Amino acid sequence: MASVGAVSPAVAPRDALARARVRAALVPDLLIEARRVVNTVIAGWHGRRKRGIGENFWQFRPYVDGEAIARIDWRRSARDDHTYVRDREWEAAHTVWLWADPSASMLFQSKTASVSKDSRALVLALALAELLSRSGERIAWPGLTDPFSARNGAERLAAQMMHAANLPTRPNLSTMKRFSDVVLISDFLDPVEETREWLDTLATRGVRAHLIEISDPAEEEFPYSGRTEFQDPETGTKLTAGRAETLREDYRNLYAARREELSAWARKLGWSYTVNHTDKLASDALVRVHLAMSQGSR
Amino acid sequence: MGFLPLSFGLPAVLAGLLALPVIWWLLRLTPPKPQTEAFPPLKILARVLRKEETPHQSPWWLTLLRLAMAALIIFALAEPVFNPRERISTGGNAVAIVIDNGWASAPDWAMRVASAERLIADAQAENAPVLIAFTVDAPNAEIGPFDAEAARERLNAAEARPVPVDRAATYERVAQALAELPNTSVAVLSDGLASEADDAAFDRLLANAGGLIWATPQGVTEIGLTATANEPDAFVVEAVRPTADAGPRQAVVAALDDRGRRIAEAQLSFGAGEAAATAAFAVPFELRNDFNSVAVDGEAQAGAVRVLDENSRRRRVGLIAQGDGDEAQPLLSPLHYISRALAPFADLVEPSSADLGSAIPELLEQRPAMIVMADVGTLPDEAHAALTEWVEGGGTLVRFAGPRLAAAEPDEDLLPVRLRIGERALGGTLSWTEPQAIAEYPQGSPFADLTPPADVTVSRQVLAEPTADIVERSWVNLADGTPLVTGARRGDGTLALFHITPQATWSNLPISGSFVELLRRLVQLSRNQGPGNAQTGNGEATLPPYRLIAADGSLVPPTPDARPLAVSTEAAVTIENPPGLYGTEEGVVAHNLLPQDATLEPIARPETPLAVRDVAYGFDEQVDLRGPLFAIALALMILDTLAVLWLGGKLRRPRAARAVPAALALALIGAISMPDAHAQAQGEETDIQPGDEEAIAAISQTRIAYVLTGDSSIDAISRAGLEGLGRFLSAKTALEPGEPVGVDIAVDELAFYPLIYWPIDEGSEMPSQAALARIDAYMQDGGTVLFDTRDQFGAGFDAGSASPSTMRLRDILANMNVPPLEPVPDDHVLTKAFYILPEFPGRFNGSPLWVEASQTVEEMADRPVRVGDGVTPIMITANDLAGAWAIGGNGAPMLPTVPADPMQRVYAYRAGVNIMMYMLTGNYKSDQVHVPSILERLGQ
Repeated sequence: MASVGAVSPAVAPRDALARARVRAALVPDLLIEARRVVNTVIAGWHGRRKRGIGENFWQFRPYVDGEAIARIDWRRSARDDHTYVRDREWEAAHTVWLWADPSASMLFQSKTASVSKDSRALVLALALAELLSRSGERIAWPGLTDPFSARNGAERLAAQMMHAANLPTRPNLSTMKRFSDVVLISDFLDPVEETREWLDTLATRGVRAHLIEISDPAEEEFPYSGRTEFQDPETGTKLTAGRAETLREDYRNLYAARREELSAWARKLGWSYTVNHTDKLASDALVRVHLAMSQGSR
Repeated sequence: MGFLPLSFGLPAVLAGLLALPVIWWLLRLTPPKPQTEAFPPLKILARVLRKEETPHQSPWWLTLLRLAMAALIIFALAEPVFNPRERISTGGNAVAIVIDNGWASAPDWAMRVASAERLIADAQAENAPVLIAFTVDAPNAEIGPFDAEAARERLNAAEARPVPVDRAATYERVAQALAELPNTSVAVLSDGLASEADDAAFDRLLANAGGLIWATPQGVTEIGLTATANEPDAFVVEAVRPTADAGPRQAVVAALDDRGRRIAEAQLSFGAGEAAATAAFAVPFELRNDFNSVAVDGEAQAGAVRVLDENSRRRRVGLIAQGDGDEAQPLLSPLHYISRALAPFADLVEPSSADLGSAIPELLEQRPAMIVMADVGTLPDEAHAALTEWVEGGGTLVRFAGPRLAAAEPDEDLLPVRLRIGERALGGTLSWTEPQAIAEYPQGSPFADLTPPADVTVSRQVLAEPTADIVERSWVNLADGTPLVTGARRGDGTLALFHITPQATWSNLPISGSFVELLRRLVQLSRNQGPGNAQTGNGEATLPPYRLIAADGSLVPPTPDARPLAVSTEAAVTIENPPGLYGTEEGVVAHNLLPQDATLEPIARPETPLAVRDVAYGFDEQVDLRGPLFAIALALMILDTLAVLWLGGKLRRPRAARAVPAALALALIGAISMPDAHAQAQGEETDIQPGDEEAIAAISQTRIAYVLTGDSSIDAISRAGLEGLGRFLSAKTALEPGEPVGVDIAVDELAFYPLIYWPIDEGSEMPSQAALARIDAYMQDGGTVLFDTRDQFGAGFDAGSASPSTMRLRDILANMNVPPLEPVPDDHVLTKAFYILPEFPGRFNGSPLWVEASQTVEEMADRPVRVGDGVTPIMITANDLAGAWAIGGNGAPMLPTVPADPMQRVYAYRAGVNIMMYMLTGNYKSDQVHVPSILERLGQ
């Protein structure tokens, strides 16, 4: 009888990119609600359905004293006795940091899962990159790229990742500025205290983070029984259980408690916390994160 | 192990059991190998695992299993033997085994071989040579001494033989061999039955012996059949059993035919202490003749089987006549009717010469059961004496009268009665008497239970002198009391005389069936006088073996060592002449094992000064336990493997598998219930009967029927007319009738149709009474027939004249129950069922429409409309309604109306509509009378 789970080889970013494109095509253009980031606006490509700085005509409105004369649209004003100002649609973009956990534990894939956690995480990250760059947002990968804006953002990310040597297990989060969004995709299996300590820097800077937990069904269900030797793929530590099925209940309680604690903490900070199982579709998580990014700050 | 019949070949190996505690200790320390799994959330798991102590030892039951396995293997290696047999120490330098393999050994021969094998094995253990001899064997058979292997071969080659043992000869040979091997133990494996000269044989055998091992069967229960006899009323079998077998005993003797089929059985019961018994097959004579052998059920040995030859069955009958008839005229031959009557159930023997002096001795050589002499007058003295002796010895002599006997001197010895010289003629030209019939057979006659023939008359006979005992000697009398057949006992034999010729000259008895019956009864009374001798005078004649009795009592083809049987002498049953049938298919002689006077005495152990050891026969029951122990150990090993797999969590069934039993059960239930469903479907199918489809078609729409007259033009008009009416109905009313139907009133079901239109055609055949009865029943059941004579203008001008169609209608109605009729009155419902119609025209106009007369005017005085209830079962018109209704394919009328008035056709259709409405709605339109008053109330 084969093992329940196995450590699969790391997924090639090019392959993940293709799959990510497919995922991204399913999701409507991502629209980031960025009301709070007035000061850091940089012109984006997508209208915000409101008056603001942009290229596209939005509306004519009567000239109010005190406005710059230069803004009067003489052409329109010549048609009747009033003077009009041409308003343009407000267009904005902001920076979204994307990061997928490259650690060894992410390479795990059980028999019931369709892909490994690593693969799923990369697909999600690239799908978001594709979405965001299509919307004209600036994207970045901590430790890999600075924020950039490009149509082919996902491709550029994938190419950079291929050429990059070993990525650090924990990225340097200090480069992230206020009002930017961070998407962190990991399994968050470290003790909650460590994770919180690591993410506290983001919380203090006012960065809005979206945590996506990739979970393998075997990790959640614990379908092991009999005499089993468990091995940690990261550290290589071994543990032997005489009758694994007796541990199931306790383990599941602990596992669920970890997730509950982490997600409660995230919610308290106004962050989103999304769980994605590798035996489910990646689109589930994509849609939820999309929703959280566009409306989460309301 | 004193409490168990168990011994070990290598007890030293059992010391290995001491290693068990070490094994136990080792096993306790070796846990099963775990399954390795990669598991990222190990840190979480580690917090859980801290609480539990990981078992580092095997579970106790696994250890126990493995210990048991080890113990079993140690036991198996020690070569355990269950039920170890006792070693028979033969003693002496050699062993001589003398085995009885006669017929009585056959049932448990295998046990004897087993016992002998044990002796051989023990002799082998002591390295003693073995002599082995069989009491039924070829005189030159090798008896040894052999080594154990050769002795075994010899033993396995031997088998029980269906012949008596010959101890004297065998023991003599063994004794001679023993003379050279002093101090030899002699093992006698006897069959338990004594034979002649046993004492002398044992004395000779034990003269040089060094010891005696004596084995006899525990109880000898063989039943032997010693004799068979075909008595007149039953077939009797005599049986003996060993005298030692004293209790009452029942057995069944079966009679088998030549193919081994069981055709009769009889009960054999030995009383307590009786050694002999008889069984009687009370079966008909014909069946007895089919007996080929008799055998005792459940006795698998040759003594319980007896084969039967011709002697036991068909009687030989000698035929003697003088002055044989011409070969060209066989019907006149005196023996013709006799031989024809006897041939089916007796063997007929005729002498080669006509000279009585040599013919009679020649016949007597054959030892016939019966001799028939046809009209033999005087016998030569020698022949007379021989014949008399034969009769007194049990022969049956049947004589027929004739001119010679009538002319001969009375013969006291060979005639049952004194005869008068000359014969008596009845019914001749000069005689007053009539030919005499045969009276009832007298009581006491052997023919008493037969029915005398009514059509036999005797016109001539020889007469017996009246004597005092003539009545008891008369077996058949004529109607006037004169004896026709007389008989008497002579010694053990019987004399019978037919007072008529054996041809049909004196009477017609010889050509009647009674003649056969009488002769057959006489043959049954006779008894064969010893075995027949086919090759008379040839003393060296031999018969080849034909079917032999095997040792187990079955009949088998001849074995190679069977030799032909010399018939002349009383041959003994030997290994060369085993019991069975000898001869060919044409005739066989039975050679049976047991003589008639045989008894089965138990053998006695010889008195001897030697050391005697009694041994019981028995199979070697020791069982080597090595194989079973290893098998159990192997099974435990498989169990252990499964347990280890289970402990490793590898025996978890996939989830889907759990659904399998349920699915199986469902499938099973389905399979069980399927036949029911199938049967149901079949039941539905069988409900369908021929004609159902027509019936369904007839009742799924309202259809008007017309009677098929047989005239195709009339039938076509009827059909077209009803079609036209149907169209008119569909157009004007809510009724949409189906296709009109032509019915054959003699065959078709009529009940489906509300109205049957019957055009009367005088040219067609008058309907049968049965058909008219059907029409009548249809009318009584609520149907209506519309008769149409179509001859309004066909009748003559005379008031009383009637057209042929009308005449035909009268003929038809004469056979039916027709109610009183009347022309449709003005207030009849028919006049207002749909249209208001004063008249009902067809192609013609003027003929009234006759309907059943409604109630009288007086009763209905207060009603504005007549006819309260019911629909008239009959309507008669002469207006040719169908002719007016008939339309062609294009919808145009086919026939002109007379006179050619278009309105008349419209009225004709309206008449049809009214008739149909009346048919379907009955009288409800009677209520139309209330319409005026209702309208009035409504204020109109």
